[in-house]
Formats: sequence, structure tokens, C-alpha cells
Amino acid sequence: MVNLAYFAKKIMGLVFTIFLVLSFNFYLFRILPGNPFTLLFRGAGLSSQAMHDLNVQFGLDKPIWYQYVVYLRNTVVGNLGISYQTRAPVSSLVAFALVNTLILLSVASVISFFVGIFIGIVAAWKRGSKVDVSASATMLVLYSMPTFWLGIILLFAGVIYLHLPVSGMTTILGQTGALPQFIDLLRHMVLPLLTLVLGLTGQYVLVMKSALLDVFTEDYMITARAKGISNRKLLWDHGFRNAILPMMTLVSLNLGISIGGAIQTETIFSWPGMGLLIYRSILARDYPVMQGAFLVVTIAVILANFVTDMLYPLLDPRVNSQ
Amino acid sequence: MITSVLEELARLNLGERIGMNKIILILAILVLCVTSAMTQLSPTRAQTPVTFTIGWSGSTLDTLNPAAFTDADGGSKLVSTLVYDSLVHVDMNGSVTPDLATSWTYKNPTTIDFNLVHNATWHDGQPFTANDVVFTINLLLTHKEISYLHTFVTTIASVQAPDNYTVELQTSKPDATLHDYRLVNIPIFPQHVWTTVGNYTSFANDNPIGTGPFKFVKWGGPGTYAEYVANDNYFYGRPHIDQLVFQYFTSANAMALALESGQIDYAGPTFPNALVSTLTSQADVQVISRLGPEYYYFDFNGYAQGFGNPALRNKAVRIALSHAIDNQELAQVVWGGFAVPQTTIIPVALGSWVNPNIKQYDFNLTEAAALLDAAGYKLGSDGVRVGPDGTRLVMKMEVPSNYAEEYRAVQEISGWWKQIGVIATAQITDIGTLSQESFNWKFDTYIWVWSSTSGTDPDLFVSVFQSNQAAPAPNPGFSDSGYQNPTYDQLYTQQLQETDPAKRQAIIYQMQDIIHQDAVYYPVYDPYLVQAIRSDRFTGAPPGNLPPAFQGTFHSLVTSIRPIATQTQTSQTTMSTTGTAMSTETVAAIAAVVIAALVVVGVVVTRRKSPKKGQ
Repeated sequence: MVNLAYFAKKIMGLVFTIFLVLSFNFYLFRILPGNPFTLLFRGAGLSSQAMHDLNVQFGLDKPIWYQYVVYLRNTVVGNLGISYQTRAPVSSLVAFALVNTLILLSVASVISFFVGIFIGIVAAWKRGSKVDVSASATMLVLYSMPTFWLGIILLFAGVIYLHLPVSGMTTILGQTGALPQFIDLLRHMVLPLLTLVLGLTGQYVLVMKSALLDVFTEDYMITARAKGISNRKLLWDHGFRNAILPMMTLVSLNLGISIGGAIQTETIFSWPGMGLLIYRSILARDYPVMQGAFLVVTIAVILANFVTDMLYPLLDPRVNSQ
Repeated sequence: MITSVLEELARLNLGERIGMNKIILILAILVLCVTSAMTQLSPTRAQTPVTFTIGWSGSTLDTLNPAAFTDADGGSKLVSTLVYDSLVHVDMNGSVTPDLATSWTYKNPTTIDFNLVHNATWHDGQPFTANDVVFTINLLLTHKEISYLHTFVTTIASVQAPDNYTVELQTSKPDATLHDYRLVNIPIFPQHVWTTVGNYTSFANDNPIGTGPFKFVKWGGPGTYAEYVANDNYFYGRPHIDQLVFQYFTSANAMALALESGQIDYAGPTFPNALVSTLTSQADVQVISRLGPEYYYFDFNGYAQGFGNPALRNKAVRIALSHAIDNQELAQVVWGGFAVPQTTIIPVALGSWVNPNIKQYDFNLTEAAALLDAAGYKLGSDGVRVGPDGTRLVMKMEVPSNYAEEYRAVQEISGWWKQIGVIATAQITDIGTLSQESFNWKFDTYIWVWSSTSGTDPDLFVSVFQSNQAAPAPNPGFSDSGYQNPTYDQLYTQQLQETDPAKRQAIIYQMQDIIHQDAVYYPVYDPYLVQAIRSDRFTGAPPGNLPPAFQGTFHSLVTSIRPIATQTQTSQTTMSTTGTAMSTETVAAIAAVVIAALVVVGVVVTRRKSPKKGQ
């Protein structure tokens, strides 16, 4: 079918993009001054001989093009190498962190998406009213609050008044049994989730509101009203379903990027996710972990965009996918 | 909330929109189930085990295998001392104490006999014998890829086990650092487990077997938490606590909160001084504030083959500039008084190794200016001093990014120097970049730290001034001053082999004097490590000079700590739920609100959409 060829071309484009990004990342990390072992040498008193030995052991003494070829070859077969810091396989480190981040961020994304749409619709429909003004203002304030500060405030309030756990994902030496463990996870999620949702909802509200307002000025809206269609039908059938399109783009962008982990939130709540992994690996110049993590983020962003690309014709028949 | 959902359900015409309604019904039932379940369930734990939870905001546990350690694995090394023992330990004052070795005698300056404990067993029940010690030391001697641990055996020539509980060690030269630097840092591995390991550095060691006071249970992966349980058969007696948990925090604020709310019992390695007042204000928290075996120093790049400002190679200039730094003021400004000003290059925490006769250069800008004049660096027309060879006293003053609080210090110092005509640009430099600069001798001055995570032997602190440590890239040594003095080098070798402590001390004192006279560094301060414990729950942290939760002393802490009996029960319930059933209900309420809100939104959305079928 003709569709298949188009699909195949798209996939090839994806693979090529991923390859480009990987190559660029490889180069970028290597131009950071200080390799991981000079860092250990001066920063932590590793002997110069040990440093040289480690350099050889990890192949850092080979020419850059050789390291690059080895890296590409390994990545293609799924061997992401081992961490310089912990000697653990990168793939397991990244998998562990990814799952933790997904747990937090997927829930946060879903909640903030729906809440954002709802408030955005209300704000657009009742534009100018007290509801709109207060909602929009609150959302703007929350959106512009520094995540770190918001997180700490919530942490204090949550721990002192609600006796919620301070950090991590689970209570250590905690409960046995699936349901108590699930509830324990939920209790640990409440505060980071709240921090993320309060930050993310703002964007969705503002975009939804402005997209709807744009749609309201269209001619077909006036026509529909002239036809006598009720307010609700107008809003949902004609308004919302057209305004949802820019929202989908926003969602796909956010989903992809958020795989990189909400670093600030993860730091405050010691949530062992991708953001924390990337941050620690950068500090230690742990190239394999950095490369592995960025590979995952790259694939996530590209996939998210790809999925949106494919979904768009379904949402908007005007877009011709041929 | 529940009623509104049910109202919405009632208003729906079930006949027409079966699909959506089913979903909403199921959701509503789920909400009700979960809510009721949560209010009934109150997570509990067995009331009896005593758990000591340590919060840690420093270096984390990254690997369970000591053979894979690098110098940056301080966190992993710290907890490995729970599981693995060494021949000797250090106590809270840095003195060597017996561990697996109960006593030792010198047959001659290079041969030492160690008598081992007779009743130690490995965590898997096998008996501990001298063969394990011999195996471990030979392993480290022959496997240089075990790079970190190998550095501790470099003076050991050979080792034998004349019988099951005696070990004889030969060193290549008399070694003053054998006990408190080398042996104290060598974990003894079980031969019966490690002989079958192929690649020592990539061995995961998921179930570490040692002789130590605690057995490893599990961990959550790098940087999360680790659980340990007491070793009932520990040869010096079972610890007074049943379980030990290490919980890692990436935020000191969160850790302070955790201590306050009772989710942890002990917190380390140190709190920033901003948090100290909140801690001291709490009645049930006791702050343990002790000096760490480390010090901050101001370094002059005086390496003749380096690329720093050439004026810094001139001793007179360094002395003059030393008169223009006030470390007492800096200790106040940067550390709020939580640091002790240094006079010499041995940290104050090392006690009697510090030469008490050395006085720091007094802060006197007039004298500094006069000394610079005398050295030939006169004030130019632009207010900057110029030397006879045209060298201007313009330079960089850096701090590494992981010690960013020292930026305040360099700002102060550059302010003082400006007043005497020396322009120094203060900046924070990324640690990787600064390491590289230091490696290549491309810097002028910086503040950095010498810290001993391998014990309280002074050798590390005096070793960095040897001539052979000052070499150009790509093989520089540990020197970052470029100091070269053959007399000092001779004294260094002497102290390394002087096993009589009194004589060794005299040599170390003399070496400090030389460094001071030549103003190689300006030693700044030794900061306090501020740790804290829930004193209403636990007691027994040993007194002493060194911080309880630190390399070497940690072992003493965990074997001495014990619960305050009356508090045991309450502490358990507090920690298991961090609250009462009330809190679970609150969470249930929040969850119910969220889910119900979703349900309502979902219902509203679908209701709006449906009329299109009719149109």
C-alpha cells in the first residue's frame, strides 16, 4: 500500500535523526573539559598512575574517531556500556531510572492535561468574568513559580501537617503485600506529583484558553450560532474539537521532554529518576551514563513527535498525510 | 464528593450511552473501594525490631564491591565497613584499635606478627582464619586493576599465615603508616567466596559476605537506600540495634525535615550552617559538631615549569600575600564560625600531629604592602603593582564548583588584595575544568580542600609538597604548589619509615615549619562536620574528636549506638507510618478527590459530545 512506503520513509527519517543527535551528543560530551579520571585525580586524590590505568581500561586513551566507532557499534546492538562511577551496566541504570520517572511523570502529565483543559475551557468560555480572571491569574502565578521553591514549600507543609514521607519512593523496611505497598507508593508520590502538576497545568490552561479564543473568532462559529446551535454544542463540537489540535502538539512535546525527568522535583524529593541520574552523571563526567540517558531522552522526544505526526490526520482530516 | 458523582450517574441516560457509563460506574466503585480499604488499612510493622535509620546527603552507595571502588566511592566505602572488617580500626580520636587483629608485635622494623580473633565467622557461617587475610592481601598485591585498594598494599612485600590465627607481614621498608593508613582501609574478603570470582572489578557482589557487625539485606539501587540486619555472631558482641537503614537524600532541607519528623534517626555527613539553628532549636535533636580530618587551603601556583603568574614563584611575594588574608574573618563570614582557622598544613582535627608553635601570618595590609615593595613590586600608575621584570600582579583566584560556598572567601580575599595593588579576579570554576587546569598547571591561585577519607595519618597532608609530586602534564603528581625542596623530601622519607611515634611527630613538626616559612600554601580553615541524632530515641554515640559517621569512626558508632528503651515502641509506629491512621485517611481523601474530579470531567466531556448523533 502507498501508506506503507510513506511510513517506511518516516521511520528512516527517525533513525537518521536519532543517529545525528547521538553523534552530536558524543562530540558535545567529549568537549567538556576534564575527562572523568582527571576529575578523580584532582577532585578525589586518585593517583596519576591509577588515572592512566583507568583511562586505558575504559578506552579513553584511544583516538576520538575510534571511540566513536566503538560507541556506534555498541549502541546498535544495545550495549550501552558500563558506568565509570559504579561499574554497573548503563542499560540497567537507565531502565531503573526511566521506570521511576515514568511513574511520576505520566500520572502528572495526565492529571495536569485534564485539569488544564477543563480550566482552560472554563476560562475561555467565561472570558473576562471573575472566574476567568482569577483562574488565569492563578495559573500564571503557579506556572512562573520556581519549581524548587514550590517543592520545598510543599515538602514542609506536607511533612509537618500531613505527616507525608519526606523522600524517596518507598518506605524502607516497609509493608509487605501488594496493596499496602501500592498505597505506600502513592503516599510518597503525593508531594512530588503536586509540585509537578501545579507547574505543568499552567501551560495547558493558557494554551487551551488562547486556542479556544482563536477558534471563537472563526466564521464558522458565527454561522453555527446563527443556525441556533446551543452554547454547549457550540463549545464542544465546534470549539473544543478544533482547539484541541495545538494542545496535542504541546502534549507530545512535553511527554518527550519530560522523560528527561523533572530534575528539580526529583532532587527535592530524592526521587530516583532520570533527572537525578543525568545530573549525577554530568557531575562525574560519567560519559556512558550520560550517553545512555540522552539516547533514551532523544528516542522519547522523537517517538512522541512521530506519534503526534501520525495522530494528526486522525484528529484533523484536513491534514493530508500523503 | 461521592454524592455528586452518584447524582451525575443518575442523570445519565443509561440506555443510550452504555459504554461510557460502564466505565464511569467502574471508576466510581473503584474509588469507593480504595477509599474504604485505605481507611481500614493501617500499615504496620512488627513492633519489636529496633531500627536505626541514617539519613545521608553525601556520597552515595554506588557499588557493593570494594574491589570496584575508586577514590570517589566514599559513600560505598563507608557502608562497606558495616559488612567487612579490617585488621585494625580507628577510634573516635583517630587512634588505632584492634579489630580482626587483637594484638601485634614487631619482630623487626619490617616484620610484624598479628594475632587474630579466634571466634569470628563469616556471614555465611564459615569460620574466619588467617588464610582469608593472606588471600586478600595477595589478591590486592597481584591485581593492580583493583586500583583503589591496591594503593594500600604498595609497601607490603609479602604475607604468610604460620597458623590459623596468626599472620606475618613483611614490608619493603619500615612503614609508619602501615596501621592507621593501610591496614585500616583494607577490607578482608572471604577466600571461599572470592576464589571463584573471575573478574574482580566487574563482580557485582550482590550478596556481600564479611565478618562485620551487620549483614547486608538489600538495597534499592545506586543512590536510594540500603538495609542491613545485625550479625548475631559478631565476634565482639552483637550490636545493640536490630536493623540499620541508610537512606540517601539529595536535599539537605529534606533531610533536616526527615530528622525533625522522625523519619530518620541520624543525619550526616554534614549540614550546611544555614540549617544548624533549626536543628539546635529542636528539643529531641542533638547536634554533634566535630572537626573533620580535612582543611581548606589557599594555593599559590609556584611551579617553575607551570603557567601561573611568575610572581607567585617568589617566596617574598607569597609571604606578603599571606599577610593580606585573614582566615579568622573568613571562618566567620563563610562558615558562620563553624570552622576553626588553620595555622599549618595539618588539619586541626589531627590533634597532636599539629605543630603548636606555628603562628599564622597575621593580617596586616600595611606590612603586606611594605613586603611587596621590598620584593621589588612597586605600585604602578594604574594602582597595580609591577615587578622589576615587568610582571604585573594580576591573576585569577578560583574555587571549584563543588565548594561554591568558598566563593565568598575569594571575594573577600580579592577585596583585601585590591587594597595593596594586587588584582585577583574571583570566580567559581566548574570542577572538571579546574581539575584540568590544575593538571596542566594553568592557574594562578585557588582554594581547595585536602581531605583524608583514609584515616587520620598525617602522611597525606605532608606528601603533597614533595618535589617528585610536582611534575608537568601528562604525569603530574599530587602537588599543586610546585614546591621543590630536597631537605623537605629527605624529611618526608624519614617520617614515612619512623615507627616511633614521638620521633615521627618531631619530624612532622619540622616539616610543617619549613612549609610555613616558605609560605607554600596559606592554610585557611578546618570546618566542623555537623551531624545530628534523635537523642530522644538513641544514645551511645561515642565521645571523641572525630565525627561519628565518618570513614573509620563509623564502625564505632554503629557498634555502640543503642535505643533508649522507653521510646522503642513509639518510634516504631512513628517510623512505619510517619503518622497515624489519620494521615492515611488524608491521603485517601486527596486520591479520592483527584479521581472523582477526573470522573466528573470525563462525564461532563462525554455529555457535551453526545448530541452530535442526533444532529
